Amino acid sequence: MNKKMFWLLSLTVVAGMLLAACAPSAELTEAPEPTAAEPEPTAVPAEPTELIVWADANRAPVINELGNQFASELGITLTVQEMGFGDIRDQLAVAGPAGEGPDIIIGAHDWLGQLVANGLVSPLDLGAKASEFLPAALTAFAYEGQQYGVPYATENVAFVCNSALAPTVPTTWDDVQTLADELESSSSGATTAWTIQTNDPYHYFPLMSSFGGYVFGLTDAGYDASDVGLDSPGAIAAATWVEAMVDAGHLDADVNYDVMHALFTGGQVACIGTGPWALQAIKDSGVSYTINSFPAGDEGPGRPFLGVQGFMVSAFSENQLLAQTVLTEVFATEEFMSALYTAEPRPSAYLAVRDATSDADLAAFAAAGADGLPMPAIPEMSSVWEAWGNATTLVITGQQSGEEAFMNAAAQVRTLIAGE
Amino acid sequence: MALRLTALAIVDSFAVLLLSLLIRDRLWLLAAILLLTTLMVNAINLSDRLYPLRWMSPAIAVIMLLVLYPILFTVYSAFTNYSDGHLLTKAQSINRIEQDTYLPKGGVTYSWAAYRADDGEIILWLIGGEGQGYLARPNEPLQSATPGASGVGGADENGFPVSIEGYTRLALVDILPILDSTLAPLEFGEPPLTIKISTIREAAQRQQRYVYDSEQDAIADQSTGITYFADEDQGYFTSETGDSLNPGYQVVVGFRNFQRLLNSPALRGPFLLVFGWTIAFAFLSVVSTFALGLFLALIYNNAFFPGKKFVRALLILPYAIPGIIGILIWRGMLNQHFGVIAASMLDWFGWSPGWFTDPTWAKVGILLVNLWLGFPYMMLVCGGALQAIPNDIYEAAEVDGAGVFQRFWNITMPLLLVSVGPLLIASFTFNFNNFSVIYAYNEGLPPIPNTATPAGYTDILISYTFRLAFQAGRGADYGYANAITIAIFVIVASITLFQYRFMGMWEEVSKNV
Repeated sequence: MNKKMFWLLSLTVVAGMLLAACAPSAELTEAPEPTAAEPEPTAVPAEPTELIVWADANRAPVINELGNQFASELGITLTVQEMGFGDIRDQLAVAGPAGEGPDIIIGAHDWLGQLVANGLVSPLDLGAKASEFLPAALTAFAYEGQQYGVPYATENVAFVCNSALAPTVPTTWDDVQTLADELESSSSGATTAWTIQTNDPYHYFPLMSSFGGYVFGLTDAGYDASDVGLDSPGAIAAATWVEAMVDAGHLDADVNYDVMHALFTGGQVACIGTGPWALQAIKDSGVSYTINSFPAGDEGPGRPFLGVQGFMVSAFSENQLLAQTVLTEVFATEEFMSALYTAEPRPSAYLAVRDATSDADLAAFAAAGADGLPMPAIPEMSSVWEAWGNATTLVITGQQSGEEAFMNAAAQVRTLIAGE
Repeated sequence: MALRLTALAIVDSFAVLLLSLLIRDRLWLLAAILLLTTLMVNAINLSDRLYPLRWMSPAIAVIMLLVLYPILFTVYSAFTNYSDGHLLTKAQSINRIEQDTYLPKGGVTYSWAAYRADDGEIILWLIGGEGQGYLARPNEPLQSATPGASGVGGADENGFPVSIEGYTRLALVDILPILDSTLAPLEFGEPPLTIKISTIREAAQRQQRYVYDSEQDAIADQSTGITYFADEDQGYFTSETGDSLNPGYQVVVGFRNFQRLLNSPALRGPFLLVFGWTIAFAFLSVVSTFALGLFLALIYNNAFFPGKKFVRALLILPYAIPGIIGILIWRGMLNQHFGVIAASMLDWFGWSPGWFTDPTWAKVGILLVNLWLGFPYMMLVCGGALQAIPNDIYEAAEVDGAGVFQRFWNITMPLLLVSVGPLLIASFTFNFNNFSVIYAYNEGLPPIPNTATPAGYTDILISYTFRLAFQAGRGADYGYANAITIAIFVIVASITLFQYRFMGMWEEVSKNV
């Protein structure tokens, strides 16, 4: 037994030394903290200034090429790690606290509430650069009075109509209903004037906002989670309008995103609410289309949700100021923003690029969203989607009246926020 | 023996390396389990009395690491508030909060340029709002200065002197590599309003906003004077008025997650409906797949069936296609507007059901899809088990004059169930928690009207409670989710245990052995 133990011990030591020689030694010892009092003599730029950027497939090549070209002039290398847009948020929550995360991420503004609550992103100071951005896009990336992101694109849905079926675009929801009556009795092949997918609050919101309905009350300090507006008079008025469409047989019950677009490109429906992402498919189908603001309800034209995408700095980056510098000096430049726009055309959040947009379609989308409301970024929003979506489904499938469905949805949201 | 010891030594050294990494990252639970596993493996391989266990030791080690750890972690987190807003440890949370700065009233902002002496000392030239220049040395008061004065070079286009005697002006490329490590910590001017570099263009009298006091276990807001005390119950730093600082941190909350589950309005409203459908879904899925699978297996067990290899290969296809793709194909076929099934039904009967909108038909649709996904497995299993039933029993029965059905019910079924029974129970348990089918088919929809929390007619327990944990409150709540998981585990385990007892499964098996 003793002999065995001796053998084992000595072998372990030898193998352990071999492993230690192979293993990256830096991982075992923590780097000494730089002391403020004695700045080290830095005759040569000792540390390689490398920043890790997490970006989606559309943006990654731009950052990798143009971004690196600019950054290299500053002696910085950007290492781009490509991942799915939606994965970035979840991955950051795991990798950041473990100290293995990126310095800079791409993200959507409505993640902000969750990211800030989790302490995953750092505040920024844009200084004079702020005036170069669309104010609404900047505001979207501010949370509790602090700026957290540099926006690059905005997106919103617009009221897209088939010009053959809707030669005059409906400007009120009553017009939509009239058009639906006309199309039903016509021989155009169209079955209705407007359709919407079930269980989809995002596309439903412009209708609700045109009647004055809201999700959370908007105050100077941002969205107020204690003021749930799904049962506000406006929200119920909108739902009642949908109910009337259902009663008149103008709304299909079983519609999802693909079906909605197939119905539109197939000439079976005159108008849908959709975004720039659907434009290519609509063009390919050969349908002649117009891109318009949403019809008006009692409270003026429908205001879609504004989604904003931008760059943020991870709170776990050890190069906070450097990462910020890349955002303001490399990314917030006309050439770079313009390259991002080319990589995936969305209305730019950078004014010089936004104003120079020659694409009439995108300009029309931007115009439809000019009065848009930023999608609430507060964490309580996660309590809303399901209840709200179910309410729209219940009304569209005719199972409940608009009032009943939305009263109950608001009650559900309040219960869920209370977290009982 | 030398070989065995060498192998063991290699394993041990890996374990030591891994342990040191785990301890560095403060993953105590995982480290403890790894240590335990390593000690066990060593004991087994060194002691002669434990010799028979040697061949099992790799498997036992892997089970401990890959099965035991996740289970322990799940149970542990069920007793914490691990959730969105409480992802970080307390130390990480304090660290993050202390990063925030603020510009005090009357605080001044400057633009800056940096200069370096040969001995490495760094000084700044600051330009205030009115264009006034200052020479700033670390930890010393600012000196008013103008470019062009003695020892100072002329101004460049931004007003910074091109040179200072004894110092070299740092270009942007020289500044960036040392920006965070060297420049950012430097303080210039006099306390309390010291100046620090805040961006590449600005230096300001910005001060740390939140300061943690470990004695009081509280964080003081320097800008407002409000103190936020650590609330170890909630995992937040909270002021007297109830405001709390982001981010919160993880704390152990005892049985709170379980209490919350028991008191949840979700357990009153549609819970029984959901529970009933969960049982029905699991039961009907097992029965239907087993019935179809057995039927097909019986047919193809017949040696005289023509082309049976080809047909059998076709029938196994659903098993070979990834389930999620199969479900998506079915979704397309059942679609009311463009689906082939819906269109054919409209042609034949002038009617087609709402496969996704009608409560009953949505359930039928799910069972159909799950039948399609599940029968090949049952067919394979039954096919194998049927081969094992000796032919002479059937011959004897035939001689005794038993008909086809008598032979099936009295010989095939009892003998088949001995070997297939445990698999049926496993299949029931699997379907009880078959989240992916439910979610991929219709996300549990259509919705049930007037429920306290969102619920759908095709929701099973796991998809229903998934929403409570991940689509409610202020985001994902992992602690609560784990408490729910444990509750569901208890339910499934008791049902399974009851089934085993009821069917006398173990006794039957041991009797045969």
